Amino acid sequence: MQLNKNSNIATTLAAATCALLGTTSLATQANDNNQNEWQFDTAILYYGEVDRVSLIEGVVSATKDFGDDHIFNGKVTFDGLTGASGTGAVPQNENQTFSRPSGKGGYSVAVGETPLDDTFKDSRVQVNAQWTQPIAQDMRGSAGVHISKEYDYLSMGINASIARDINKKNTTLSAGLSYQLDSIDPVGGTPDRLSSMSILSDLSLYDDDDDDDHGNTDQVDNPEYTAHELSYEQRESSQDKDTVDVLIGITQIINRRTIMQFNYGLSISDGYLNDPYKLISVISDQGVVQDTLFESRPDSRTKHNMYWQTKYAMDNGVIDISYRYAQDDWDIQSHTIESRLRFEISNESYIQPHLRIYQQSAAEFYQPFLLNTSLLPSFASADYRLGEMDAITLGIKYGSKMTNGNAWAVRVEYYQQDPKNAGFDAPGQLAELDLYPSIKALIVQFNYQF
Amino acid sequence: MHNQQISPVLRNDHISVHFEAMASLCEVLVESEDIELAMHIAQAIANEAWRIEQKYSRYRVDNIIYRINHAQGNSVSIDSETWHLLTLANTCFEVSEGLFDITSGVLGNIWHFDGSSLLPSARMIKECLAYCGWQNIRLTQDNVRLPPGYAIDLGGIGKEYAVDSCVQVATKIAPKCSVLVNFGGDIAVSHPRQNQPYWFVGIEHPNPEKDSQLSVTIAQGGLATSGDARRYLIKDGIRYSHVLNPQTGYPVTGAPRSVTVAGENCTQAGLLATLALLQGDQAEIFLEKQGTTHWCLW
Amino acid sequence: MKKIAKLTVVGIIITQVAGCASLGVKPWERDLLAKESMSLSAEGVDLALDDHIYFSKEATSGGRAFAGGGCGCN
Repeated sequence: MQLNKNSNIATTLAAATCALLGTTSLATQANDNNQNEWQFDTAILYYGEVDRVSLIEGVVSATKDFGDDHIFNGKVTFDGLTGASGTGAVPQNENQTFSRPSGKGGYSVAVGETPLDDTFKDSRVQVNAQWTQPIAQDMRGSAGVHISKEYDYLSMGINASIARDINKKNTTLSAGLSYQLDSIDPVGGTPDRLSSMSILSDLSLYDDDDDDDHGNTDQVDNPEYTAHELSYEQRESSQDKDTVDVLIGITQIINRRTIMQFNYGLSISDGYLNDPYKLISVISDQGVVQDTLFESRPDSRTKHNMYWQTKYAMDNGVIDISYRYAQDDWDIQSHTIESRLRFEISNESYIQPHLRIYQQSAAEFYQPFLLNTSLLPSFASADYRLGEMDAITLGIKYGSKMTNGNAWAVRVEYYQQDPKNAGFDAPGQLAELDLYPSIKALIVQFNYQF
Repeated sequence: MHNQQISPVLRNDHISVHFEAMASLCEVLVESEDIELAMHIAQAIANEAWRIEQKYSRYRVDNIIYRINHAQGNSVSIDSETWHLLTLANTCFEVSEGLFDITSGVLGNIWHFDGSSLLPSARMIKECLAYCGWQNIRLTQDNVRLPPGYAIDLGGIGKEYAVDSCVQVATKIAPKCSVLVNFGGDIAVSHPRQNQPYWFVGIEHPNPEKDSQLSVTIAQGGLATSGDARRYLIKDGIRYSHVLNPQTGYPVTGAPRSVTVAGENCTQAGLLATLALLQGDQAEIFLEKQGTTHWCLW
Repeated sequence: MKKIAKLTVVGIIITQVAGCASLGVKPWERDLLAKESMSLSAEGVDLALDDHIYFSKEATSGGRAFAGGGCGCN
């Protein structure tokens, strides 16, 4: 053995002994780690409702372990929304005219059609950052911030939580707190609660031409248009709400195959909880619209959540079942059952059917319309999302790991919402019209992990 | 021996379990306060050590080594583990240009390193060398064939391999727990410690009269010592180490008494230490060229 | 009053789960639970996207994580 030739013996032996032991050489591992310091999780999602909104959302999530379980996660989410959204107004046996949120335009809704505002166009950027690290023996702490901005909305939040392992790490107790401040600056200002929407008698009176700052000639000195414009000018601008969330949880390992989680969540919101674009129709006893008002929701809401999840490891997959019970002081109660069954079809790929069944009761102030014969309540909303509703999601996901360790997945889901009549009699012409149309949506998502 | 009872000793920040295997005192240190866990790991390690000992000891008549060495020139089918071990032996033979040779054990039959001055004759050595030489072994993934009269001895790899294999057993049981496996000075650590930067290990000085200990630290990886603490010959004032040069048939002279090497795993460290000893007085130069952490005692 | 009764139910369930000392596994029995797909936060990106969709389309949110949606879609 010549000494000048043998400088790589240590490396040769390291490789040879690692082959014997079926391990990767530490030097090689260190290299690999350097190349993959950040773990990226990316996804692009399409959500499209039949005849209503569609959304494209992209997510890039990056996680890095700085050693000893000091973990940083940063996430950027973009989304773009276009299409039409239900306003809450009822359909009629004749054409209806509504003002757009800005007041600068109008649109008409055909006979028998559910009124939809088709001007929805928004893009949003959200940034999340979260830091997690051990803070004592068997104890972890985590803190994070988020900021989300869209055209008329800004949301900022901070959160912190601690988790403690007990019972030889078979039980984990956790507690978290988050505070969120949201600010909404509605297009066209904030309408007064249950105020009438100013609707011009003729669509041609609206200023639909963006290039013309001076309005069209019909508007000049038209008292109807001047009053309309004034009603928008008098509106308040931005509104705030704040939300405090408390989440306590327990995670328990049951046996070698089963892990169970139970969470209780409390969420208290105060401030402007309306949707400034949602309407409620005032109808006569013949079902004919007399007036269109902006909705009014209470300015506080306290929600309770109970969430239970169990995961079971099969020999060739995972069963994941969860149930959530939620209720709040708006008198909404909901039940959600969700299951994901992962079947590993090879070492590298899996197929995962997904089922979600959701049921909610109506908020106490939910009404599909107001009657002109009744007194005006303090709170009223015809937003179907606060009404009685069933929903179902059926989906399937296929995922595959590539030879270089990266992974991709694709999922396709069908989501259908079936709003229900919570016992309201539909007078006159409304009896013949569909007040609770179903909403059908397709979800397609592609994931890539590297 | 396999019914040996093992029992734990609680130390300050770890649990220590002892048992005997491969003619050595074996020690397992587990950085945990969980006695049940420590015992489970130690028992699994002892079982693994006894399994390897039984499979590769050259002092048994019921194992693969016996069948290979007594095949009278016929090929013997081997399993994957044996193939990997023999492949490693082949790599060592190649990188050492023939100095590391697992067929050279036959020389041990004529050299008796009992501290005496009894040297074999040159004729005996020559006769013996006729039955040495890894280059004459036919090895495939499924079979090995030795010329008649040849014998292999995995003594230079087996214990270190057992240490590494036992560390893997520990990692499988408790991936994040630091476990140190020490089989008579051949050491490996599974995972860095949580509460201390490293384990302290004492290495016995090869010259018992000096009564000193070399204390080294190890965070992760392997540590192995090769030397002639008790196994040597002295003739005409020349100290013959127990490390034999398979090309001359004579022991290496001028080598350090003991070489300790830190490596990625115990097997690599052990092989580097053995290769260093085979360099005789060039041992330290060899190790410096390899860029390994090492300690030579002369 | 109704709410207080419900909170008591939560309390009782937690105590019972924590009280079952026989539940759990030894460290060397965590092989299956250690799989990425058994982690409660597995497929986190999917779960967050779903939370966002359902937050904007339904009256209730949260449970698995904080209920705040961080957007103006509801």
